[in-house]
Amino acid sequence: MQRLKREGLIKGLSILLASCAIASCAPTSTETTADNNTDQNSGGQSGSAEQIVLAIGGESEEGYDPTLGWGRYGASLFQSTLLKRDENLDIVNDLATDYTVSEDGKTWTVTIRSDAVFSDGEPLTAADVAYTFNRAAASGGLTDVTQLDQATAVDDTTVDLILKQPQSTFVNRLITLGIVPEHAHGENYARNPIGSGPYKMVQWDEGQQLIVEANPNYYGEVPSIQRLVFLFVEEDSAFAAAKAGQVQVAAVPQSLAVQTIEGMTLRDVTSVDNRGLMFPYLPANSKQTPDGDPIGNDVTADLAIRQAVNYAIDRQALVDGILEGYGSPAYGPVTGLAWEEPEANIEDAQPEKAKEILAEAGWADGDGDGIVEKDGLDAEFTILYKADDSIRQALALATAEMLKPVGIQANVEGKSWDDIEPLMHSNVVVFGWGSHDQTEMYNLYYSQSAQGDYNNAGYYAAPAIDSTLDLAMGAPSEAEAVAYWKAAQWDGEQGVTTKGDAAWAWLVNLDHTYFIDQCLDVGQSQVEPHGHGWPITTNIADWRWTCD
Amino acid sequence: MEARRKGQIQIKVILVFVAQKLLRLGLLLMAVAVFTFVLLSFSPIDPVQAYIGADMMQISADQQAIIAERWGLDQPLWSRFLDWLGQLLQGNMGTSLVFNQPVSVVIANRFQASLQMLAIAWFLSGFLGLTLGIVSGALAGSWVDRLVRLYAYTLASAPTFWVALLLLIAFAVSWKIAPICCAAPPGVLSQNVTFWQHLHHLLLPAITLSIIGIANIALHTRQKLIEVMQSDYVLFALAQGESLWNIVRYHGFRNILLPAITLQFASLSELFGGSVLVEQVFAYPGLGQATVQAALRSDIPLLVGIVFFSALFVYTGNTLADLAYPVIDPRIRLRGQAHS
Repeated sequence: MQRLKREGLIKGLSILLASCAIASCAPTSTETTADNNTDQNSGGQSGSAEQIVLAIGGESEEGYDPTLGWGRYGASLFQSTLLKRDENLDIVNDLATDYTVSEDGKTWTVTIRSDAVFSDGEPLTAADVAYTFNRAAASGGLTDVTQLDQATAVDDTTVDLILKQPQSTFVNRLITLGIVPEHAHGENYARNPIGSGPYKMVQWDEGQQLIVEANPNYYGEVPSIQRLVFLFVEEDSAFAAAKAGQVQVAAVPQSLAVQTIEGMTLRDVTSVDNRGLMFPYLPANSKQTPDGDPIGNDVTADLAIRQAVNYAIDRQALVDGILEGYGSPAYGPVTGLAWEEPEANIEDAQPEKAKEILAEAGWADGDGDGIVEKDGLDAEFTILYKADDSIRQALALATAEMLKPVGIQANVEGKSWDDIEPLMHSNVVVFGWGSHDQTEMYNLYYSQSAQGDYNNAGYYAAPAIDSTLDLAMGAPSEAEAVAYWKAAQWDGEQGVTTKGDAAWAWLVNLDHTYFIDQCLDVGQSQVEPHGHGWPITTNIADWRWTCD
Repeated sequence: MEARRKGQIQIKVILVFVAQKLLRLGLLLMAVAVFTFVLLSFSPIDPVQAYIGADMMQISADQQAIIAERWGLDQPLWSRFLDWLGQLLQGNMGTSLVFNQPVSVVIANRFQASLQMLAIAWFLSGFLGLTLGIVSGALAGSWVDRLVRLYAYTLASAPTFWVALLLLIAFAVSWKIAPICCAAPPGVLSQNVTFWQHLHHLLLPAITLSIIGIANIALHTRQKLIEVMQSDYVLFALAQGESLWNIVRYHGFRNILLPAITLQFASLSELFGGSVLVEQVFAYPGLGQATVQAALRSDIPLLVGIVFFSALFVYTGNTLADLAYPVIDPRIRLRGQAHS
């Protein structure tokens, strides 16, 4: 008996010892590798001009092929684009030296620089540009080039892009679509990208990390940071890794942004990553979606209700209370972008004004239950939100609280997207969008976009707005289109925002929050689109390491 | 003459055995494929919408149609199934929607990462489970036995992902002796990853995974050993003055080996299932993580591929257990010969 006990104990202890030995062995071995190779020094220890580690998510599981949508946010790293947006979102040349749009708006002629070469040494010509656009139009990825009829190379440095219809937003394809080499764009391209961008791929451990190195053949200024390691981990792990000093840039949720990390500063970047309440615009049971789901809601079909909600909400309180101050009030779909109409903004947090609007429209609390009614209909609706999104949940709950004093009863319910989809044309839903591409605004409000899915889910329809949006889309250039995009928001008489039809109650724009090493200068950031993380890389070739 | 006849019969027996096994495997895989296709057709997740995600507003209906066409989603389910079956017969498992890569390549890459973890977990849980089971069975009722039972019951009733999270918090976040994620340290090229770094990243997920198996095997082994210890022949051995250790060694061990082996191989399926959760928690890029992504994005080719693969994996495990019986237990071997 005694002997067996002892043996068991010894056995257990030896296993424990063995596992301890293995665990404590690992850190020492990291140091030995560091000695062998100074480059490996930062195997997660600290940053330098040689190498920084970023934990900002954004892995593209299907690889790094722009014709499938890679590079639609932030830097495409490996490839370069014809145009790009600078920190003020103004359009500037990259590969292109000039571009013109024909009078009918259908032919875009782009001339490109002649000194660009791919990372394999081959020159980049107009034929590659034409190939990239034609390929993207056919490949069924996340870049929408369906308006392109054909792209043809006129000579080595000139390419004609011929559209089926004029489309002012087509310029966004010139901004996001990285040019791929026709000679090396095969089946394995997405995992071995070759391009003319500032960086080239060294190694991609799928699901873990992407290691890239400065491309010596890059035609622009060689990036000052030699090597970038993108760590693909969840936000919580990113924060933990930043705290351990293993990463130099970490994207964190607003709730973690209030913490401090030694040696790092918090950077909060304004974004157009918005959250808002979508109202069903039509009365209940006016029609059905192609899938047979109900459309319309009698309460939110009343303009007075939609306007009252917009005026009653205290957006700054939402920013302070829910986003910890890392955000800003949103009054329209593009608040903060260059094509925002500032006149459309309202003075909110005015429950008295909201009550007036309701009273004028004939909503009154006759039975004294605190909820106004009109023709026997209570001012009551349900706000749906994605159940696992704590920010949307808090926004929905806080909004419902703010509407109570006005006499509007908002019931709040969390569901998954699959459950929300059949209900989203007849209930109020917390949605979040935000893009540098105005196509989004078009699809949010254009009457024909409403086809029973997320585009114009509320079935908003106003002929005047439709024609303004058509003018914006058909304008030959973004600069000319901007006037129409603004007019669609509010032109003094009509618009989609509160003073007009109040089709949505936009609530807030989230700030994107990052912990960044004090030694790292990331320059000036753009107003970022929806999608936390990757957009910060837009100007990554200009980042600098300021310590020795 | 007699020996040759015997040999022929044995070959025949083996051939029938193999044919039966293969037939069953084929039927099983077929059923699995049909079930996966049908179940996924009931899934509310639209793969095209899952792929587009938050870019919904920038992707026109035309582009959505091109995406659906690229994946053949414009075809009805039965025609996709037939297409898939036809391709499978030619050895092509299709292309994964999520990874834009042949399914066989995805599975091969991912399984390489998972295999080491599964192997360590499997050996650890088998070895420790058996050891703990024997110790607590032999010393039934003692404090050691109580301790082992407490441990086993606690872990048997604890969800895998919860145990994984606790271990991650303790070892990686608080004590910082284990890495937070991944299969290698960040920024290190794969050819420069040392064996120790590799093990360092592998060990915690593997141990977590083994912990689940230990409880099951330990409890079953314990129960079986207690049965043996109460038998007449053990009483007889005791009466002859045999020591406890020798009784366990000569009478107990052999009798509990068969159920232990059955359990050990049957635990392959549990390990495989557990790896889905453990890999998710530890951000370990193995087959389990790919399974989650395939399911969340309705990636039918990949999911069917993985389900196929796991069915094959578990089936092979169980067959190995079947084959091990006659090797270990002469009674089964002799009975088989007596029949023929």
